[in-house]
Amino acid sequence: MAEQSEIRGKQVFTTGEAAEVCQVSQQTIIRCFDSGRLQGFRVPGSRFRRIPREELVRFMKDNDIPLDRLGGGKRRVLVVDDDEQIVELFVDVLERDGRFEVRTAHTGYDAGVATQQFHPELIILDYMLPDVNGNVVCKTIRDNPDLEGTKVIIVSGVVNQDEINTLLEAGADDFVKKPFNIDRLVERIGELLEMA
Amino acid sequence: MEGGSESERTQRLELILQQVESLPTLPAVAMRLLQVTGNDDSDARQVTEIVQSDPALTSRVLAMCHKADKGVREPVTTVDRAVVLLGFEAIRNAVLSIKVFELFADRSGNEVEVVKGFSQAGFWRHSLAVAVAAELLAEEQRDFRDELNPSEAFVCGLLHDLGKLVLDHLLPKSYERVIEVTEQHQLNISDVERRVIGLDHHTVGKRLAEHWRLPHVLQDCIWLHGAPYQSLPEIKNRRMVGLVGLADLLARKNHLGYSGNYHLGETLESKAEEAGLDASCVVRVTEALHEELQRRAEVIGLGDSPSRTLFLQSIMQANEVLGRLNRKLEERREQSHEQTSVLEEITEFHKESLAPGRNVQDALGSVVISAERVFGKGYYGILYQNSAGQPWLINQYGEDGRVAHGQYVDPPVHSPNLAKLMEENSASMGMMGFLPWIADYLLESQDVREVRLLPLKCRWGSAAVLLHDRRDLPTGLQLESLTHTWGAAIGAAAQHQGARRLGEQLVESNRQLVEAQDSLLENQSMARLGEMAAGAAHEMNNPLAVISGRAQLLASRLEMGSREQQDADQIWRQADRLSDLITALRLFAEPPRPKIAVIAIEDIVDEAIHQMKQVEPEAEAPVVTGPEEALKLRTDGEHLSTVLGVLLTNAAQAEPRSRIRVDASVDDLNDRLMFKVKDDGVGMEAAALEHAFDPFFSAKPAGRRVGIGLAKAKRLLEGLGGAIELNSAPGIGTTAIVTLPLDLATTEEASMVMSGESDA
Repeated sequence: MAEQSEIRGKQVFTTGEAAEVCQVSQQTIIRCFDSGRLQGFRVPGSRFRRIPREELVRFMKDNDIPLDRLGGGKRRVLVVDDDEQIVELFVDVLERDGRFEVRTAHTGYDAGVATQQFHPELIILDYMLPDVNGNVVCKTIRDNPDLEGTKVIIVSGVVNQDEINTLLEAGADDFVKKPFNIDRLVERIGELLEMA
Repeated sequence: MEGGSESERTQRLELILQQVESLPTLPAVAMRLLQVTGNDDSDARQVTEIVQSDPALTSRVLAMCHKADKGVREPVTTVDRAVVLLGFEAIRNAVLSIKVFELFADRSGNEVEVVKGFSQAGFWRHSLAVAVAAELLAEEQRDFRDELNPSEAFVCGLLHDLGKLVLDHLLPKSYERVIEVTEQHQLNISDVERRVIGLDHHTVGKRLAEHWRLPHVLQDCIWLHGAPYQSLPEIKNRRMVGLVGLADLLARKNHLGYSGNYHLGETLESKAEEAGLDASCVVRVTEALHEELQRRAEVIGLGDSPSRTLFLQSIMQANEVLGRLNRKLEERREQSHEQTSVLEEITEFHKESLAPGRNVQDALGSVVISAERVFGKGYYGILYQNSAGQPWLINQYGEDGRVAHGQYVDPPVHSPNLAKLMEENSASMGMMGFLPWIADYLLESQDVREVRLLPLKCRWGSAAVLLHDRRDLPTGLQLESLTHTWGAAIGAAAQHQGARRLGEQLVESNRQLVEAQDSLLENQSMARLGEMAAGAAHEMNNPLAVISGRAQLLASRLEMGSREQQDADQIWRQADRLSDLITALRLFAEPPRPKIAVIAIEDIVDEAIHQMKQVEPEAEAPVVTGPEEALKLRTDGEHLSTVLGVLLTNAAQAEPRSRIRVDASVDDLNDRLMFKVKDDGVGMEAAALEHAFDPFFSAKPAGRRVGIGLAKAKRLLEGLGGAIELNSAPGIGTTAIVTLPLDLATTEEASMVMSGESDA
């Protein structure tokens, strides 16, 4: 099990690890790597093949390989809100569920830094941050190809259908009004992260 | 006004105004009584004399005494005593109302009550109620003794709606239609008058008051009583006008008589304060009003039905007075015939035209009469053009000097203006050689070869030509003095009339300005409320989210169904409810913009009923009646059904449970769609009605959820260019009326929706 949790945290995989995750032989992984069906790189100065996590996930999805061994671990969620109490509430809700690894940020700037380091799979983003509006954050995330698979849920106390439409156009995946129903929120996060 | 070009419209209005001024003048008896102030004994003697001069009136006044004072032992047999007993004001007011009424009373010549259209009995009851209210109010205003004489207030109140009588008298068919539309849709009658006739009773009444030379304070009250106080010009009688406006509102709020105005939006107190009047007396006056009205109605004879017969009798008798007056006029005219000298004629003409307030028609008439005096009897007419580009007026006169035929015509294309045509000519010339096309418009009996033109020099842009059939006219200087005098009189009248019309339009614009200011003010406060609600939403929803979220977490940890778990659930739900309220407030302040699409009227009503059922599942299904054809509208169906849903829900919540009726109809003038939602519950008090559209106001018993519903409905409707109104009174239930511009889908749009439905 220790080995498994290591794999869950990894960002880059060896062909051997990839074979284990995918439950196929190492030879199959190498063949796919060499034919270009599984993208990756070689360690500079050697011929060792390495596969980034995002690429492995894509490969597994394309070939209908269950993600449990890779994603059965905790999913990474970043909570961004300037209200400390709200942040704590989200953390409590998500940790109670047990399936999530949670980081927090209080400003748009913090959120940027955390995104770079933590590579969250989903961001819960307050629309009105002290330094920048939610739609700008949203757009920044969408313009970054590295964060292509990152889901964004905007939360706000102010509901204005026109603004919501603008946010959805800017690339948000969903909108949740404060106060919210926690069961429904968790369910929605599960859907977006395709958790069974 | 339905259809018609601008010039047709102008012509029509001018013709109506002309007719107003051809109405009989107010009988001399009434005029003289109006001039008497009733301040001292000599006035009392004068009143006695005036009444005695008219036997019909005398018997009428004595009859009044019998009715009024039952405590008098000895029968009153002299006018002297009657004046002492009843007081000067009572007599003056009675005579005035009788005299005004008789001018309009008998249009069909029989006594059959007019079932449809204008009810004179209801009209008089309203007028009298306003008169009594004005008098009572004036008595209470001790600070303004000089400005607000109670008996003057009575007369002002009595005659304030004079214009309605005039319109009904001149245009019975159109006015019947005005009443019909007003009644059907419960509008303000002056708006309908302007739409159907083009003029309202304020303007028409003012014209008649001028024509009758009524005192200025009366003219102003008749003209301006419907205008908002702030928009009144700084005139001497401003406060009296405000007082009559207040009395009018008071009478309307108490449903006394028929006023044809269903707008009761203002409060009596605010109206009183606007005019700087003491508002505290309103309640006292309201209490005294009914009884006082009953008493006065009996005295004047406007009360119950038996007096109606008496009334008609007195009218017949009063006609004799008119007849005598007419004979005198005739005699005077015959005398003038003998004066032939041009110079004498000019002096005469000047004397006549010096009267103030003469209009162009008067001036033209005087010129013709004058011409007849100098040139002898014969055929006379006038060509007149007010200013460049306007249609030409062709008036032809009968032997009595009245207009036998009046018509506005458009000159042939490229024809120069009348002023330009006549510039070079000053002598009489044959018409056929100069303006042959005019012949088409002349009376058939007239030999057109005989008709000649005599240009009159008007100056100031207007132009007039005298049509006549005289061969031998005075020549040279004599003729020129005549044409110049006549022309100048016409020109001056045209200037005066133009100024007067502008003044009237100014009042109308002021009225619209005040309305626009009101709605601007409302929009501003809405914008502020919107900003506040947005701020509140942001600031309050965070703590509410924490309360709600923590309560949910807590509930999930507690034993299912335990008391503690139920409490936590309760905290959660109440926090959400607060949040919903904030959202509602914000949507109210800044409603979403309407999304226009094609939708069937019955779908809108069905959706509204569905929404009502969600809140009041127990409610009985409403009775729906609708326009005969299935209409497809271009509107925001969601907004409209929300509005109707709110009204239906309110109706369903009326106590006691009552049957709800929904009626959809198209306004006969065909530009408005109407929905009426009616319940027969207990109705609303006037105080509740005034605040019905305020957010969070509720007439429901305490403890029920308060309403933002009506306020929201009003906002949504305004977004669709519509309006909403409530009619309600305790005991008769409530009717909500929604009106909005009718925007029908084209056949193609409608069929697209139809096929879309069948695909689904």
